[in-house]
Amino acid sequence: MTIVQPSGGGQAGRSSGSGLADVIDTILDKGLVIDAYVRVSLVGIELLTIDVRVVVASVDTYLRFAEAVNRLDLSQTGQKGLPDLMQDITQGGSKSKTKGALEGAGEKLRDLIGEPEEEEEEEEPAPRRKRRER
Amino acid sequence: MPPSRGKSETGRRTVKGRSAPRESEKAASTPAPSGQDTSAEATTASYIYGIVPADVELASDVHGVGDPPGKVELVRHGEIAALISDVPVEHPLGRPQDLFAHQRLLDDTAAEVPVLPLRFGAVVKTPQAVVDELLTPHHEEFLAVLRDLEGRAQFVVRGRYNEEKVIGEILAENAEAARLREQIRGLPEEATWDARIRLGEVIGQAVEASRETDTQTLARALASVCVAVAVREPSHEWDAAHLALLVETDRRADVEAVLDEFGHQWGDRVTLRLSGPLAPYDFVGSPE
Repeated sequence: MTIVQPSGGGQAGRSSGSGLADVIDTILDKGLVIDAYVRVSLVGIELLTIDVRVVVASVDTYLRFAEAVNRLDLSQTGQKGLPDLMQDITQGGSKSKTKGALEGAGEKLRDLIGEPEEEEEEEEPAPRRKRRER
Repeated sequence: MPPSRGKSETGRRTVKGRSAPRESEKAASTPAPSGQDTSAEATTASYIYGIVPADVELASDVHGVGDPPGKVELVRHGEIAALISDVPVEHPLGRPQDLFAHQRLLDDTAAEVPVLPLRFGAVVKTPQAVVDELLTPHHEEFLAVLRDLEGRAQFVVRGRYNEEKVIGEILAENAEAARLREQIRGLPEEATWDARIRLGEVIGQAVEASRETDTQTLARALASVCVAVAVREPSHEWDAAHLALLVETDRRADVEAVLDEFGHQWGDRVTLRLSGPLAPYDFVGSPE
């Protein structure tokens, strides 16, 4: 993964980790669907991931946007130290009723598995490969 | 060393993937069923990751989904091959480790050779079934797509709005939003429920309109340096753009140059992130 700094300048840092939400987004929704090609030998293994998506009602989304405006107000009143505290409280308090679909999916998966978040960060460098022309 | 099916020849391209995580070492003594089990009570099946050209070689210690992670093998037919591993049929799949294993193998492969990625969870009874039912009937079709993908890989671009900046813009430009903000300022939630919902709705609509514009602008600019561009659904409410790109790998610098340009232009309003190379998940279709 390359991070392109918003200020530009081609300072592209590299890391090959990607979050759980990205993975779910990609490999559960995209790619060739085997059912379209194979029928007779298909094995239906139970997938833990099928029901994990959390649908977010639009009202929740609206309230979250309104909260964001509120946070902006707090940070603009210049009460140093307080805004961050308030933000934490607001986010913590609203967590149960307002979570994004993918965050929700990730949380549910972690609930199922008991895995800590961000465990996917790579500790090993990406392997180097030699590529030979055919 | 490579799986027994693959005769090592010079000219093959090697995909190394990643070594098995340490926790799997304890399972090294478990005999790995080689998939020739055709009995009705088979306890393992073949998990399929993707399809690659047959001239690809696999490093010896690549592992995939399952607990312990199954050893990834290549099963070849003609000029194509499938990346597979044994999985026990009685255990559900889909732990985060499984999802990561699936994607990592495919992305590592895509960095080296063309690959048709399968959606997570594709399992058939035996390696022989992979050949008979998947590779043989669709050999020409898959081969054609693999040739088309030679030298290309997918990248994903995501732009994320700076919440504060964008809300500031909206409040400055949208009179209703500004009025509602004054109306609810300092009042308890219960007293301003309707106003809050309306304010959120106005903000949401403005963000959506902004996202549409920014996505189109970015997609148009990238189209000139990409083989194809696919607009993805936003996966976050502050997404400014979410695009999948099919890129000639030797034109990657051009893609990065376009993104740098947008980085300058958008300043701290949007944070852009480019991931890749990835397997071309967004550019392989399935027949209806």
